[in-house]
Amino acid sequence: MAPFLLQRSAGLLATLLVASAVIFLVLEVLPGDPALVMLGINADSDTLQALRAEMGLDRPLLERYADWLIDLVQGHLGTSVTYDVPVSDLIGERIAVSLPLALLAILLSTAIAIPVGVVAAAHHGRLLDTTVMGVAQLGVAVPNFWLAILLILVFSVGLRWLPAGGFAGWDAGVGPAMLSLLLPAISLALPQAAILARVTRSSVLEVLREDYVRSARAKGLSQGQALWHHALRNALIPVVTILGLQFSFLLAGTIIIENVFYLPGLGRLLFQAIAQRDLIVVKALVLILAAAVVVVNFLVDLSYALLDPRLRPGVRHG
Amino acid sequence: MADKLSAKRQRPGANLVLGGTLTSLFLGIAVLSLFWTPYGVADINIANKLNPPTVGHWLGTDQFGRDVLSLLMVGARNSVLVALVAVGLGVGLGVPLGLLAAAWPGLVSETLMRVNDFTFAFPVLLTAVMITAAIGPGVVNAVIAIGIFNIPVFARLARGGALGLWQRDFVRAARLAGKGRTRISVEHILPNLTSMLIVQATIQFALAIVAEAGLSYLGLGTQPPNPSWGKMLNEAQTFLFLAPQLAVYPGLAIAMAVLGLNLLGDGLRDRLDPRLLRLP
Amino acid sequence: MSLLCVDDLYVDLPGGVGPVRVLDGVSFDLPAGGALGLVGESGCGKSMTALAVMGLLPEGAKANGRIRLNGHDLLGLPDATLCTIRGRRMAMVFQEPMTALNPVQTIGRQVAEAPRRHLGLSRAAAEERARHLLDRVGLPTMRFPPDLYPHQLSGGQRQRVGIAIALSCDPVLLIADEPTTALDVTIQAQILDLITELSLETGMALLLISHDLGVIAQTTDRMAVMYAGRIAETGPTAAVFGHMAHPYTRALFAAMPQAAETGARLSAIPGQVPAPGRTVPGCHFADRCRHAGQRCRDAPPPALTAVDPDHVVACHFPQARDTVP
Repeated sequence: MAPFLLQRSAGLLATLLVASAVIFLVLEVLPGDPALVMLGINADSDTLQALRAEMGLDRPLLERYADWLIDLVQGHLGTSVTYDVPVSDLIGERIAVSLPLALLAILLSTAIAIPVGVVAAAHHGRLLDTTVMGVAQLGVAVPNFWLAILLILVFSVGLRWLPAGGFAGWDAGVGPAMLSLLLPAISLALPQAAILARVTRSSVLEVLREDYVRSARAKGLSQGQALWHHALRNALIPVVTILGLQFSFLLAGTIIIENVFYLPGLGRLLFQAIAQRDLIVVKALVLILAAAVVVVNFLVDLSYALLDPRLRPGVRHG
Repeated sequence: MADKLSAKRQRPGANLVLGGTLTSLFLGIAVLSLFWTPYGVADINIANKLNPPTVGHWLGTDQFGRDVLSLLMVGARNSVLVALVAVGLGVGLGVPLGLLAAAWPGLVSETLMRVNDFTFAFPVLLTAVMITAAIGPGVVNAVIAIGIFNIPVFARLARGGALGLWQRDFVRAARLAGKGRTRISVEHILPNLTSMLIVQATIQFALAIVAEAGLSYLGLGTQPPNPSWGKMLNEAQTFLFLAPQLAVYPGLAIAMAVLGLNLLGDGLRDRLDPRLLRLP
Repeated sequence: MSLLCVDDLYVDLPGGVGPVRVLDGVSFDLPAGGALGLVGESGCGKSMTALAVMGLLPEGAKANGRIRLNGHDLLGLPDATLCTIRGRRMAMVFQEPMTALNPVQTIGRQVAEAPRRHLGLSRAAAEERARHLLDRVGLPTMRFPPDLYPHQLSGGQRQRVGIAIALSCDPVLLIADEPTTALDVTIQAQILDLITELSLETGMALLLISHDLGVIAQTTDRMAVMYAGRIAETGPTAAVFGHMAHPYTRALFAAMPQAAETGARLSAIPGQVPAPGRTVPGCHFADRCRHAGQRCRDAPPPALTAVDPDHVVACHFPQARDTVP
């Protein structure tokens, strides 16, 4: 297990390194003079010089990149120009919104999609299956931010059950805080669930054709028991892959959904930082989001071994 | 087995017809908007703002009194243009890259594909946000961002398909006949990948429409005064209480366009797959 | 009375243009403790017969006739009732040991599953039973702990696990569908010996399906030759081998590599098995038969008639005893 983990971890680090290099290139080299971008063309030259010096723009590229990496490793993400606070503080504050939102969304999506996909597969070709998959096809086509607006229209404007936006804050208690995350999470979760349900269904259908499901039936298991005890875990392997991929869509989704609901999370911070041209914050946030995607995919890779003993390192027996 | 066959016989037809109809409608409206819209999209009439649907304005008016139907029509054109260029960028750069990697397997192509693999770390919206932050918001930058996102998709697909084809007898025969790798890639490999690429392009087209709408919703894509579905949704959110219908039309337009393209992609895949299997 | 009595069994599978008949009036008996071999080329309906007995026909299949186990007709029983019989009274060993086991469950758990379900054993008792069963099929716990996964075993070892699973509730009927076809030749004999030994030891009846006449000769006391969904010839194994009355049985025998080794010419059977569902007026084998006459093509398919006591054949021109090659 140890060499296996070591090898995967090395791959993870390499990917993170490349990602950081790309981000550095796009945000520090591509704009020409980042200080000018940040302050705008009307900035006076003294302020400009000061910011250039602070950002170390007078030094060679490679040195700046190396410094940035060293700072990153030590947890220094720089200081926001607009907020004049350490970026790490900003992120710490905002992640308390984004992370619960993402987790809630992925939980909802999985909780809906897997049972729906399995039930559709169990009723393969019948009315229930056709209906469910028709709805899923429609669900895939609905962009999450439009669904968000529709949900606001129905539950906030129409029924007045839930807030149309804003975040109650964790100080207000878990209940109100979660309530303000509910509609955003649903808007993120439903389109994802539609995709996931389709994948689950086709995966289960494929596995149900496997010989070992027939073996289970020959032991005296009913079709349903064979499905739950023998087919499901095998069918979940591709589902987990999609789940990992979806996480990146979900993160990107938070950028837009947090803006629909005015939630003070990382996505909204990123949007605001762009509007204020605070490249230091943008750089840190993009890196964190990209790193989150990479790490989640790494974990998905590891979870295969949990689901499928064939992928566990080890020797053949006998 | 048997029910799978019968399902195959019924469904692709339905998918293809419905998807084809929706897509043609979407493309048709986009083209029509070049020549005719009920009103000009710059015709501001504040006195008539936020009207519900009337005989004069079938879908009502927006906060400036502009005709919503006209805005939607021009928005469709905008979506088609952005998606077309972005997917074109992905195909134009990604496919040659993939063919190259398949034709000359080795360290260079290996590196190329590794870089390709890692791009999954940047979902389209994150790429777009990053590019926008560096060079400013705008429809061109949105197109570039979505295009960049599409390059690895097509590179991977083309490489995967091409690698299989290089093992086929007809390609080997061409090699023995003394044809160069580039010429084989263009004359033998590419034509056999076409249907697969068309299916993928249809699906990427749908994704590009959603991405453009999302960016424009955030104000990072199409800029005013050019109409776009995403921006219309953003503006409608301000008037949810006064004119909720404004938030419905653009979203419905996006969903129908995406649904149509997805169904078309599914239908084409079902229709074309057997032909892929029956390669010479 | 026979343990298993299949009487006039018809099975139709759904097809592109309509139902396809894959079993066309199959009948045979298997006494308790007996061993019956079903032999024929692939596509003749052997496996379909086994699946029909187990009640595991593919979705949409329609079965008619009678399949009696201990006098109770299994056809038409609700699946819930069949679930109490499958794995308990009758069990099956499959052809492909590589795919017949669940890759994500340990072998111990897969062997213990049926005893827990059917015999009401506790987890510990079922695991103990599984260890014992694995030991019995030649996988001693010391070398093959029950927490191994199928991919850690070879094909022959996996087939042993499959046998342990089938035996786990002491069934009265074991159906083995080409249990050795996917295995190396050296392993085939071991597995076959194991099956024979176990069925003698426990007194369970064996329905062995194979395309290999050698396997049938070695293992069974009665045999039935199937062709195109029908029984072509059936009788005591020794009697059939002693007097192959159906030209198809002879053709099968002539196609055996072993027969070639002993000096006879190895002859592939000319032509192909007719596609299921194709309606032929006469005998289905007529097109491939050297002895076929006009009657074979025009008259209705021949019925099973006795050539010797207890030995029946469905042929208009059964071969005489003395012409054995």
